[in-house]
Amino acid sequence: MKNTIRFVLDGKIREVDFSKYPELKPTTTVLNYLRSFPEHKGVKEGCAEGDCGACTIVIAEIGENEKLVYKTLDSCLVFLPMIHGKQLITVENLAITENNEKSLHLVQQLLVETNGSQCGYCTPGIVMSLFGIYKNHQNPTKEIIEDALTGNLCRCTGYQPIIEAAQKACVNNCEDHFSKSEKEVVELLKKINSNTETITIKNKSQKYFKPFSISEALRLRNENPNAIIINGSTDIALRQTKKNEFFAEILDLSGVSELKNIKVENNSIVFGAGITIEQVRNYSIEKFPALNKILNVFGSLQIRNIATIGGNVGSASPIGDTLPVLFAYCAKIKLQSENSERIIAIEDFIIGYRQADIKNDELITEVIIPKQDKTGVVNSYKISKRKDMDISTVSSAFKLKLSGESVSEILLAFGGMAAVTKRAKETEKLLIGKKWNRENVETAMKILEKEFTPLSDARSEAEFRSTAAKNLLLKFYLETKQN
Amino acid sequence: MSDQIHHNSAISHVTGESVYINDMLMSSQLLFGKVVFSKYAHAKIKKINIKKALKVKGVHAVIIAKNIPGENQMGPVIHDEPCLAEKVVTFVGQAIALIAAENKDALLQAEKLIEIEYETLDAILDIETSIAKNNILAPQRKIERGNVDLALKNSPHTFKGELKTNGQEHWYLETQTALAVPGEGKEIMVHASSQNPTETQAIVAEVLGISKNEVEVEVKRMGGGFGGKETQGNHVAAWAALLANATKRPVKIHLFRDDDQIMTGKRHRCLSKYEIGFDEAGKILAYKVEINTDAGAAFDLSMAILERAMLHADSSYFIPDVQIIGRAWKTNLPSNTAYRGFGGPQGMAVIENLIDMIARYLKKDSAEIRLLNFYNIDKNNFTPYGQKIDSNRLFVMYDQLIKSSEYSKRRNEIDKFNNENEFVKRGMAITPVKFGISFTTSFLNQAGALVNIYTDGTVLVNHGGTEMGQGLHTKMLQVASVELGISPDRIKVNATNTSKVPNTSPTAASSGSDINGMAVKNATDIIKSRLVEVVISEFERLYPNNKSLNENIVFENNFIFDKLYPQNKISFNEIIKTAYIKQVSLSSTGYYKTPGIYFDRDKGQGNPFYYFSYGMSVSEVEIDSLTGQYKLLRSDILNDVGNSINEGIDIGQVEGAFIQGVGWVTTEELKWDKTGNLTTHSPDTYKIPTVNDIPKDFRVELLKNAPNSGTILKSKAVGEPPFMLAFSVWLAIKDAISAVGNHTIEPDFTLPATYEVILLSSEKIRNKLKVK
Repeated sequence: MKNTIRFVLDGKIREVDFSKYPELKPTTTVLNYLRSFPEHKGVKEGCAEGDCGACTIVIAEIGENEKLVYKTLDSCLVFLPMIHGKQLITVENLAITENNEKSLHLVQQLLVETNGSQCGYCTPGIVMSLFGIYKNHQNPTKEIIEDALTGNLCRCTGYQPIIEAAQKACVNNCEDHFSKSEKEVVELLKKINSNTETITIKNKSQKYFKPFSISEALRLRNENPNAIIINGSTDIALRQTKKNEFFAEILDLSGVSELKNIKVENNSIVFGAGITIEQVRNYSIEKFPALNKILNVFGSLQIRNIATIGGNVGSASPIGDTLPVLFAYCAKIKLQSENSERIIAIEDFIIGYRQADIKNDELITEVIIPKQDKTGVVNSYKISKRKDMDISTVSSAFKLKLSGESVSEILLAFGGMAAVTKRAKETEKLLIGKKWNRENVETAMKILEKEFTPLSDARSEAEFRSTAAKNLLLKFYLETKQN
Repeated sequence: MSDQIHHNSAISHVTGESVYINDMLMSSQLLFGKVVFSKYAHAKIKKINIKKALKVKGVHAVIIAKNIPGENQMGPVIHDEPCLAEKVVTFVGQAIALIAAENKDALLQAEKLIEIEYETLDAILDIETSIAKNNILAPQRKIERGNVDLALKNSPHTFKGELKTNGQEHWYLETQTALAVPGEGKEIMVHASSQNPTETQAIVAEVLGISKNEVEVEVKRMGGGFGGKETQGNHVAAWAALLANATKRPVKIHLFRDDDQIMTGKRHRCLSKYEIGFDEAGKILAYKVEINTDAGAAFDLSMAILERAMLHADSSYFIPDVQIIGRAWKTNLPSNTAYRGFGGPQGMAVIENLIDMIARYLKKDSAEIRLLNFYNIDKNNFTPYGQKIDSNRLFVMYDQLIKSSEYSKRRNEIDKFNNENEFVKRGMAITPVKFGISFTTSFLNQAGALVNIYTDGTVLVNHGGTEMGQGLHTKMLQVASVELGISPDRIKVNATNTSKVPNTSPTAASSGSDINGMAVKNATDIIKSRLVEVVISEFERLYPNNKSLNENIVFENNFIFDKLYPQNKISFNEIIKTAYIKQVSLSSTGYYKTPGIYFDRDKGQGNPFYYFSYGMSVSEVEIDSLTGQYKLLRSDILNDVGNSINEGIDIGQVEGAFIQGVGWVTTEELKWDKTGNLTTHSPDTYKIPTVNDIPKDFRVELLKNAPNSGTILKSKAVGEPPFMLAFSVWLAIKDAISAVGNHTIEPDFTLPATYEVILLSSEKIRNKLKVK
């Protein structure tokens, strides 16, 4: 398809032909698109970086058994073609007017009754997050509610009434007027999604490709080696919204369904690169608890719902949340090009500050984590200024195997301590073969402190990073002793 | 009063229909404005070239200082703040040029093409350097009682030291925004996100060189203010007005989040130096404090803020001999400004921390020391500035809260927990708030209103206050409803507009409902007195046997009746129609000034406050002393709002202010680099509380049966005071750090108590213990 995307909005298929609207670019965000219509100005920009959630929208897509799956997203970070084939739900769609009378959605009604809005600016985003909870949970726990609201900053209320509104509203088995129109919407979406021809949007200065198969994706990658690769775009979009960077070529993998599988293969779990962080989080609860633990404090639900494991690994950020723990789990990365494929250890994949070993015709297609046996222990830690919705100041993941009381295998990986995710190899060397006791750990802490020369920046001073890093080893030790 | 009345915009908030300035529908003639600001903290501007920028397609105007038709200034009190920097820039983020264009791309392109040549100068970027260079903003202020030096000398124990408190970014969700629409001739209409439309009007008039009657400023609602739009909203309005005037088109400026954080003023950070003397029991005998505030590059409201910090240096405690010195220092940072509490928090933090130090030193519970030092009921009840503390609610609230929070029991449990855990520690603290209500600039304590009744019996209330989410319009609607005896759904409160109610004071100092409520009441009283005449004559006609007297006429439940002869009754709507036919005016202005307020700044003595609002809170935290991370386990709050006009709204103010305070004392950290660039200029690095940062167990109550005399519906102000309840969290964290050394070592401590403070302070205690 040339220059055209289609999605469902306000109950109808909306077709956007970019060639007809010169003011629209393929990199126009869903937020800015919506706000260009008088009837969709409820959605707000509070920060343009996915931190405040005032721009929260809900996307519905076809899931198992032809049921719609509802997800909250930050519309400031989503490029318009990314919602092709989905239903876009905005705050204006929640209340319905029948016989000239407006009736609020239950989440809206409860937010009014609990005095959950003050200045009202964050409220449309809060309402959409509440709606997301409503559509996914019956009688949610406080933890579920808080988790779903972490990505919505409110400066007025202190949040208490918002939590209360969620508790009181989410009692109807997710039923509402959206349930009634679900079948119709599913039909509309099926109609759109039946066409799997690659979407190509071109204007004078931009090219945007949205393929629907891995073979198409690899072909486009080969043909457009300079194209920026996106899947959830939560990292890349910031470069546009915050730094006004212009992207001439974009390869959007969000439509490639082959990248969205989780498989069990050769004693490993294979995550398709397009699996979202939220999916990895839910999948890893028992299989990879240290990964689950770090993903519990990864961004917000809005971010986790769209950010992908492939994207997080590919950004090779020194403060990327998944990297230390993937080091500790000895994960591997599968890279594919049109003509070849290779599997590489995550440690070898990261080659520099925001640099990964990826050739200009390759795509990350899988993240492979070996199943863990019971003989070792892996744990992970993230220290940030604020507990949630914050980037790591220091993060770490440790792996330990004991033979008797002695250390037979140890891996100490740190994020935030150097330009890349880095192992404390001197400390590991010191501990190997030694007894796993407090005295040896405390000696190791002194080495560990010297092994890194971290930065001072907006998040913390270097001294904090060094102290916290060495203390994390002690914390890990104490926790191994507790269990 | 009913607590069933929700915020009058609640429904439009939740449906997304509430209109903020950035949502207003405009024609295609609307232009977008952008501010080009200084990249240097202190520099001479040697050359500005805007020629290339003007040629960009879609650009309609580029304005620099010399293009300003009126006065190049926008300082609210002292005219020391240029609207656009001309020869010198004094902070990073200072406006130099303005661009108006048809779209964002053109704005960005034009911005890149503006050539500014600077010659950098030495910059002062902190209070210490400013003190060393004697770069004082204005002569110091002093409040004094007794002979503090002698009292310190005679005190059995003394502490001397200093405390730093950092600033705070307002982080209103709606960044600074204004839309200016040119009218006929010189007229201009400005839609502003401003807490002070009258001042916005004045500054727009000044920069355009026109008179105030040619400027109309309207404020429908703000997406949060917190003091950040008391003066800072004027700037954006003035810039938008200049561009609208230059292009003769509507121009909107909506600041990008990072630009807003970089350009606008914040809460004043402070460096306070203290000496305190106390006895064996922990009774404070003498207190000497020097509060040094970082004013930033210009006056703004710094002197008034400094004054309030000084007036709250006593917190809730009686100090026999006391000296409070205040100095505001100039630095090359954006001029700091009003922020919820207006200096009060900075003044109180010092003594609250000292009480904690005294308790640790004497090995007592800090709650005991606080109780011992509270202002007394019948003696020791004069503040350092000579105001008598009437209706002291500290003891009542302390007793109630200590009981309801099970303070003693939990103290024992915490001690036990701390003995059993090596690195995870818990701490708890109770802290009081006594906050003076009124503008300390006495003349600001006045308000106006305009109430119109239309012939269908509906009412439109206009008043001078602005709505920033605090529910002021809702409370004003309730006041009109109570006073006119009609149901709230027949009343509407309009956008605040300078042409409806002129010469208003800012919606600030928590005074919004106090003063505007009285002004609304004054207007309804005037209309009612006119209506009563009509009612009497109607009753005479309808019920000739029962003669009604004016004083017996009651307005209630949409009817008007005689309380002696309840059958003498007429509906409100009917009397309105009759009054109109009888040529009686159905509209009135209202006016109010707070009585009995004065303060002699030179002597540091007077009665600056109409009354005090009280509050108290107990918080319990848990820290991980290995990582510096903390959890807020529980907070119990008891707050005094007099007779609440609207409990739902008041509890919302208490909870919201408290959590904003928690942000200030924990995770919100302003940091600048060595050249004066703010490094925490976005929510990526500047961390306000999320839903997970509120207490796991959060119990908020309003003090019952506590009418306040002489205020609207016997209520009390609520906007700012609960902010300072967050000291309970701050000092609970300190208590937990102190537990690392089994309360034998005074922890290093500052505000905020970030994870960095918690970890490094704990680490230092551990190292000291090792040496011992």
